[in-house]
Amino acid sequence: MRKAFAIIIEFYQKWISPAFGPRCKYYPSCSTYATNAVSEYGAKGLTMAAWRLVRCNPWSHGGVDYVLSKSSKQPIKTGAN
Amino acid sequence: MGSILNPLYFAVSWVIVTFHSLLGYIFGENESESIKWSLSIIGLVILIRIILIPLFVKQIKSQRALTALQPHMKEIQKKHKDDRQKQSEEMMKLYKEHKTNPLASCFPILAQAPIFFALFTVLNGIARNTPHGVLKGDLLLSAQEAKFFGANLSSTFLSSDTNTQTKLVIVALIIFMSATTFTTQRQLMVKGMPKMDSSNNMMLQQQKIMLYVFPVIFAVSGVNFPVGVLIYWSTTNLWTFGQQFYVIKRNPTPGSPAYEELMKKRTVKDKDNGALPTTNEDGTTQTDPGVEQSKPQQRQQPSKGSKKKKKK
Repeated sequence: MRKAFAIIIEFYQKWISPAFGPRCKYYPSCSTYATNAVSEYGAKGLTMAAWRLVRCNPWSHGGVDYVLSKSSKQPIKTGAN
Repeated sequence: MGSILNPLYFAVSWVIVTFHSLLGYIFGENESESIKWSLSIIGLVILIRIILIPLFVKQIKSQRALTALQPHMKEIQKKHKDDRQKQSEEMMKLYKEHKTNPLASCFPILAQAPIFFALFTVLNGIARNTPHGVLKGDLLLSAQEAKFFGANLSSTFLSSDTNTQTKLVIVALIIFMSATTFTTQRQLMVKGMPKMDSSNNMMLQQQKIMLYVFPVIFAVSGVNFPVGVLIYWSTTNLWTFGQQFYVIKRNPTPGSPAYEELMKKRTVKDKDNGALPTTNEDGTTQTDPGVEQSKPQQRQQPSKGSKKKKKK
């Protein structure tokens, strides 16, 4: 399930997102955040990803926002570039 | 699912029906039903895009405010030359600190998705004789007869009763959608984006995607969508193109080729007027009145933020 989600996001990042140009107000982007959140937290990560997408709106100022690791509470930096 | 979207079906059908009856005053009550229904869909697009204009203006303003941040940005790029992650992090921090963010977020696209879906359902309802919202009774019957260049608004390429005329119209619309998307993206890439050194690969990738993937997406979805939805899609693409064309000409992103062109034009103008522009060390000219205008706007923003805090 988590793998399938990662594949969908990867497809989006490779084929769909470039066509719209960079547009995410956060770093890492919502899609990278979603992959990390789901691989770390599963279903709860899905909610986290949805909430991040809501937070990334025209009235937000964005910023740096990593998914925190379950165990160490350290930011997960994989996949971000 | 249907019940959650009922208000949306109502809103979309109401807008279309209202435009239809307003157009009745222009074209006459019983005349040219086809034109009225087609224009009603176009009216829906125009209404939505007008509602979205303030968001667009807001984004343009924060892009302009970037001019003031350019020295900081250059510093960051220099400092973290070999660490793209750190570079992006610092850039985002800078935007947040100055309460300005040039990026648009996915909202403008996502906000249109439910409307698009609702329109899809409403138009399919016309074909299946299922009323949605206020599009029912005589109006439904009238909409069933409506044609766009001889193609029924509710028929799709793949439905069995579709004639050749309709198929030709659908193919034309798919080609039109692909062409507008391609030109819009190409214009943005060539003229509208700041030059970046490490993004050549990404650019090539983008061009490939636009050339091959978009026509495929439009073709695959286009044969399944009713003609009315394709009219909506084509109009919104055309609007995006026009909007971007205007912005690139009049309000280009700082650092982009279009911006440099505009600056050159303005410099020439100022020289003609006898006033010499002052050029900074980093090559930015300070003759742009917009830079001055953007300063008080920036100052207002912290007060907005403090209001938000009070609410919490």
